[in-house]
Amino acid sequence: MRTDPVTLKVLENHAQAVAESMAYTLFRTAHSTFVKETEDFTTGLVAPSGMTFASPRDLGATWFIGLDYKGAIDLIDSYEEGDICVTNDPYSGFVCSHTPDMHIWKPIFWDGEIIAFAVGHIHNTDMGGAVPASLSRANTEVHQEGIRFAPTKLVSRGVLNQQLVDTMMLNVRMPDQNRGDLNAQIAAVNTGEAKMHAMIRKFGVETVKNGIEDLLDVAEARARAVISDLPDGDFRFVDYLDEDGPNGVPVRLELNLKIRGDGIVMDFTGSDPQLKSALNMPTGGNPRHILLMVGFNYCLYTLDPSIPLNGGILRSATCIVPEGTVLNPQHPAAVGMRSLTCGRLQGVIMGAFHAAAPDRLPVGAAGGGGIVNVKTFDARSGKLSMASIDPVTGGAGGSALGDGADGSGANTAFLKNTPVEINEIEVPIKFRRYGLVPDSGGAGKARGGMATELEVEVFTPDTVVTARNRDRSVFAAWGGAGGMPGAPSLFTRLTPDGKRIDLGNTDVVPLSPGDVFNLTSGGGAGFGDPFERPVELVVRDVLRGSVTPAAARAHYGVVVDIDGVLDTATTQALRAAHVAPQVETYSYNASRRAFEAIWTDANYAALTEALSMMPVHWRHFVKRSVFERIAALPEAERHGDGSEIRAAVEAIKASVPGLASSMDMLEAAE
Amino acid sequence: MSYRVGVDIGGTFADFCAFDETIGTMGTVKVLTTPDRPGQEVIDGLKALEDRFGIKPADISYFTHGTTVGINAIIMRKGIRLAMFTTENFCDVLELARLKMPDPYHLLSSRPEPLVTRDLVFGVSERILADGSVDTPLDPESLKAAVDAARARGAEGIVISFLHSYRNPAHELEAKRLISEIAPELHVFCSHQVRPIIREYERTSTAVIHGYVQPRVSQYLSALQDALGGLGVAPEPMITKSNGGVMSVEVGKSACVEMLLSGTAAGVMGAAFVARAAGEDKVLSLDIGGTSADVAIITGGQPGYGMNETVGDFPIYVPTVSVTSIGEGGGSIARIDTAGLLTVGPDSAGSTPGPAAYGRGGTNATITDAFVSLGLLDLSTLGYGMVSVDRNKAVAVIEPLAHKLGSTLEATAEGIIGIAVSGMFREVTKLCSRRGIDVQEFSLLAFGGGGPMMACFLARDLGMKRVIVPQSPGVLSALGGLTADVRNDFTETAYYDLDAANTPRMRETIDRLIEKARHWMVEEQHYHGTPVFHAAGEMRYRGQSFEIEVPIDPAAVAAGDVSPITEAFHAEHRRLYGHADTDAPIQIIAINFVVTGHSVKPTLSKSDPEPRDVAPEKTIHAHVDGARREVALYRRSELTPGARFGSPCVIAQDDTTTIVPTGFTGTVDSHGNLILTLTETAHAH
Repeated sequence: MRTDPVTLKVLENHAQAVAESMAYTLFRTAHSTFVKETEDFTTGLVAPSGMTFASPRDLGATWFIGLDYKGAIDLIDSYEEGDICVTNDPYSGFVCSHTPDMHIWKPIFWDGEIIAFAVGHIHNTDMGGAVPASLSRANTEVHQEGIRFAPTKLVSRGVLNQQLVDTMMLNVRMPDQNRGDLNAQIAAVNTGEAKMHAMIRKFGVETVKNGIEDLLDVAEARARAVISDLPDGDFRFVDYLDEDGPNGVPVRLELNLKIRGDGIVMDFTGSDPQLKSALNMPTGGNPRHILLMVGFNYCLYTLDPSIPLNGGILRSATCIVPEGTVLNPQHPAAVGMRSLTCGRLQGVIMGAFHAAAPDRLPVGAAGGGGIVNVKTFDARSGKLSMASIDPVTGGAGGSALGDGADGSGANTAFLKNTPVEINEIEVPIKFRRYGLVPDSGGAGKARGGMATELEVEVFTPDTVVTARNRDRSVFAAWGGAGGMPGAPSLFTRLTPDGKRIDLGNTDVVPLSPGDVFNLTSGGGAGFGDPFERPVELVVRDVLRGSVTPAAARAHYGVVVDIDGVLDTATTQALRAAHVAPQVETYSYNASRRAFEAIWTDANYAALTEALSMMPVHWRHFVKRSVFERIAALPEAERHGDGSEIRAAVEAIKASVPGLASSMDMLEAAE
Repeated sequence: MSYRVGVDIGGTFADFCAFDETIGTMGTVKVLTTPDRPGQEVIDGLKALEDRFGIKPADISYFTHGTTVGINAIIMRKGIRLAMFTTENFCDVLELARLKMPDPYHLLSSRPEPLVTRDLVFGVSERILADGSVDTPLDPESLKAAVDAARARGAEGIVISFLHSYRNPAHELEAKRLISEIAPELHVFCSHQVRPIIREYERTSTAVIHGYVQPRVSQYLSALQDALGGLGVAPEPMITKSNGGVMSVEVGKSACVEMLLSGTAAGVMGAAFVARAAGEDKVLSLDIGGTSADVAIITGGQPGYGMNETVGDFPIYVPTVSVTSIGEGGGSIARIDTAGLLTVGPDSAGSTPGPAAYGRGGTNATITDAFVSLGLLDLSTLGYGMVSVDRNKAVAVIEPLAHKLGSTLEATAEGIIGIAVSGMFREVTKLCSRRGIDVQEFSLLAFGGGGPMMACFLARDLGMKRVIVPQSPGVLSALGGLTADVRNDFTETAYYDLDAANTPRMRETIDRLIEKARHWMVEEQHYHGTPVFHAAGEMRYRGQSFEIEVPIDPAAVAAGDVSPITEAFHAEHRRLYGHADTDAPIQIIAINFVVTGHSVKPTLSKSDPEPRDVAPEKTIHAHVDGARREVALYRRSELTPGARFGSPCVIAQDDTTTIVPTGFTGTVDSHGNLILTLTETAHAH
C-alpha cells in the first residue's frame, strides 16, 4: 500500500463526501418527479482507469456500485479541461445499459493530468421511441427504444454543444424534464470537480492519486478475504423467467459459480440465446459488467457489511458470458427491460452463493409482482389521470439466521411504495385491499417473507393498467434445506358480474368500469424443515395472521386455533410422526418440477449447444420452434437425454432452408 | 431574589441552569441521572443549586424542564400494551411501512418490529373515501368484535387509524365514543387528533408512538409536579418541546408526542439564543455528547424546522427543530478492521462504561481517550468533579492499536481524531449539499460535553473561519429551555390547487386554525400575552411528491388573491432547488399554523472592556498537530470579556474542555463567549 492506514481512511471519508455531495446536488436540483421518487440515479468518482472508487451510500440506485466507465471513457479521443461527456447508447462502450439512462462523465484535471472522473447517470422518464417511457417488453430492436447518443462531448472546454441538446429535446416526449435533469447532472459533475480540487489542495496530488489506487486495492483485498472464507468448489444454479416475451416460453439463466481460494469465476454458459424482446442485458461480454455483478455485490456485502462498496471488490471475480445470449446480446437486440432479467439473475447468483454459504445467506426472494401504473379518467369530468401506483414486492427468503422480511426485502429492499391515501387522491380509483397475504411465505424452520397484495377498483372505460416486470406466476421462489418454495404471483381481473380472469404475466391490461384488479406478488421461500420451527413461533405466526391454522397443521405440524390456543398433545403426536424430508440444497415448486421433467439439464444443454452454432439472428426463432415441437411430442418419445432436442433441431433445419444456408455461411466465415 | 431555572435530563447527566433575574448572571450544575427513579434527579439538582448558589426552591419564579422519559420508553420498548384498529383489509400499515429497508444492500435487512404487533391489529368495517364521503358506514358490531379481541389479548390502550381520517374524522370519533362506552378502562387515541396529516403510515406511526408513551409520560409529569410542589417550587413547570417551544405541564400530559425530541431541540434553541446575542447571522451548531454528534443550521438567529424525524426506530411527523446526526460522539470506538485500516465508530462506549480514561470499566479506545492520551484532557476533573480522568488508562487502550499499526501512540491518537473529524466532515458536507449552502460562510457554535473538544478540528477541515464556545456549553439545553417561547403547531390537510377559486376553502381552514390556536393559548395554556400567529402552506408543483413550506399571508387569502403566495413559492423553490416553473400549477397539500407566546428571555450581562492579552494559568506539554508542543492552559473563569490569547491552548471549565490546536487566535466577546478565529488555513495531514 502506498498510503498509511490512517490517511487512507481520512481520504475515503473525503472522497465519499465528494460523491455524496454530487448526489445531493443532483437530487436537489433534478426536475423530474421520477428522479426524486425512485432515486434511479447515481453519482460517483472513478479512477482514470474507469473504476469507481467512491459512490454515495444513502441516496441513489443500489445496482451500479462499481460500474466500470472504461468502455465509454475510451471512446472519446482526447480530453481537455472543462469537457463533459454523455452517452445513453447501450451498445457503445457498455456503460449505459438501456436508453433512458443518460450517463455523464467529466475529467478532473490537475496540472494537466487526469486524476479522476466525476460520473453519474439519471434514468430519464422518456427518451422517445415506440412507446411512452421508451420501455416495453414487446420491443424487438433497440431502435424502438428512443434516440441514442454514442459517447460524445456535451460540453467542450466549457462550451455547451447546443445542437446536441436540441436534437435530444426534439426526440423526447417531455423535453422540459430531460433538460432540467441534464442540468442537474451537469451541476453534479461540476460539484464533483470543485470538491475533488479542494481535496487535492488539502492533501496533495500524489497522496490523492495513491489513495485512489489504494482504496480500490483495499476493497479488492477485503472482497478476497470474504471469498477465502467460502469453501472451494463449483456451485451450479439455474432459474427461469416465466416468459421470453409476450405469451412466450421460459428463459433459462444458468450459473456455474467457481470458487477457488480468494477468487471467483461466474460462468453463465447455458443461459438462453438473445431474445426478440426487450429482456436482453447488454454487457458486451465485459467479464465484470455491473449488470452481471449486482447479485455478487449483494452477497459479498451480506457476508461482510463492512467491506467498502467500490469497484475494487469486482476485481475478485470474472464472468463468462457467451456472445449472442440474453446476457450478452448483439446489436440491435432490444434491451429496455433488462431490469427484469437482471433482477432474476441476482436471484440466480444468490442461489449459487447460498449453496456455498447455506448458514449465512438466504434462500429465494419472492420477486415478480411488478410495478403498477394506472391510466384512467375522472368519472364526472372525464379528465385523464395517470400515475405510478406502487411496486408490488414480496418478501425475502428465510435463512439460517431468521425469517425472511415480509412484503419486500432482499434484492428489492430499495423500493418505496406510495401511500394509499395519496394514490386515491391523485387517481380516481378505490383501493379495496393493500397488505400481506397469509400462507404466502414458504414454510420452513425459517419462514419465507410474505407476499404483498394490492386490489383496486376502477370506474371508467378505457382504463389501462400496466404492471411492468411481471414474472413468477409460473416459477416460484426456491426454498432450501427442506424449506418450501414461496407462493407464485397472481394477477387477476374480477369483473362486476363475478368472473375471475387469470392474467398471468400480462403486463398491459385494459379494464372496464366496475372492474377490479388484484395483483399479488410471490412469497419468499422457506429455509429448513418446517417441522423444526419452534412451536411458539408458529403460534405467533397464527396470532399475527401470517399463517392460517390449517397451514400451521399441514406444513408445520402445529395444531393451534385462531386465538393461539395450542393443542399440545396433537402437536407432539404430529411432530413425532413426521418423517424429516431428505435434505436437499434446493426445493422447487410444482410448475418448475413439471417443466424440468421435460426440459432436463441434458435437453437444455443440447438446445444451448445447437443454438450456439447458429447465426445470432436465427436463435430465438429456433428456440421457439424447438419448444413447440417438444410440447407436441408424445410422452413416449421424451427421453430427457438431449436426443429429442437434436432431432427437433435437425427437423427445423430441414424444413427452413434459409436457416441451413445461413449456417453454411457462418461455417465458411469461420 | 428571583431565579429562572432550566432543567434538561440527558443520558448520563441532568443539567441545571439558574438565571439570576436581578443581576443577569447564570449558575449551572450537573447531577447524575437516576433512570430507575425518574424525577429524583430534579430533586437532587435543586438541592445542589441551593448548596452551591444558595438558590431556594421558593425563589424560583420560572421553571422549564426537558425529559427523556418518553423517548426512553420507546427505545427500551417499555410503553403500554397497545392495540390498533384500522380500516378492514388495511391492517398491515405498520408492517409494510414505506417498504424500503434500513440497509438496502443487505439481503437480510428487515424493518424493526412495530410497537404494535400484528396480533394486536384489528380491522374494522368502515370506509371513508379520499373526498371525505362515506363509502361504508362504521359497523358497530365489527367494532365491538375488535374491542373484545383487543381486550382478550391484554390491550391497555387502542390507537384508531382509519383511511382518510385527516379529511373526515367522523368514523374515528364514533369509534372512540363507542369504545369509551364498551371499555372505559382503555386509553384511546385517534390518529387525526394526534396529527391530521395525509399519508396513512406516517399518521399512524405518529399516533402509535404517542399512544405508546402517553400514559407513562403523563404519570411522570404528575409525579414531578408533586415533587416540585413538595419542595415549594411555586410556578407551574413548563415542558420543553421538539419544536423548540414550551408548554405547561398540564398540556404536556396529553401532548406527549410533542416532547420526544425536546433535548436536542432545546440545545439548538440555546445555541440560537447565543447566536442572536453574539450577533451571528449564520451559525452551524455542533452538539457532541458521549453517544451522539449533531449539527443544526441557524440563520438569522432562527433554527430550521422539519417534519420527518425518527424516534428510536420509527418516523414521527410533528414539527421539530431540524437536527442532523453527524457521528456517534466522544464515546465512538476506534478499531483496526480486517484490512488493517483504522476505523472510528459506529459503535460507541456511550456513557456506560464510557471512555477507558473515565475508569468506569471501559476497555475500548474512544475519541475521548485519544485526546486524553495526547495530554490534552487530563488537566482537570470533568463534569463538576463527578468524573476523573486517568491518562494511563487511555494510553493502555490506544497502545495496542498503535502496535498493530506499527505506529506511535501519538500518531495513532491523532489518527483517531483525524478519522473521526473526517467522518463529521463527510456528513456536514453532505448536509450542505442537500441544503445548497456554503459552510464557509458559517460560524461553528460548539456545545455539549464534547463539542468544544472537537470543534476547532472540524472547523479547520471544513474551512470555517470561526468557532464560538458559549459560557456554559455543557448545559446549553437547560438554557435553551429558559429561552424558549410558548409554542404550538396546528395543521389541516388541504390537497387542492393554489388558485383564486380555492381561497374560500383556505380562508375557512385558516379561520378554524386561528380559533384552535387561540383556544389552546388561552384556555389550555392560560397565556395572558398577545399571541403571534404564523400561517404557512406545504406546497409543490402538481405532480411532485415532496413539499416545501412557504408563508401564507391570511390577508391575501381573505382578499382572494393568491399571487403573493404563488410568487413566494416560486422564489423558495428557486432558492432551494435552483429552478422554478412559473407556468406550472401549484398544489397546496396542507396548511400549517404556528402560534407563539413570547416568554421573558434572560438578559445576559454584558461588558466591553479594552482587549487585553491574558497569561495562561500554566503551560503544559502535550502532543498536538504532529508534534509535542508547549500548550497554554487557561481556566475558563479567567477568560472574561476582552481577553485575548493564542494557540495551541486548552481551556478548562466545569462542564467541558475546549481544545484549540495551532492556527487559531482567541478572544472573549462581550457576553463571555470564546471566539476562536482560524488565521492559518494550512495544516498538517
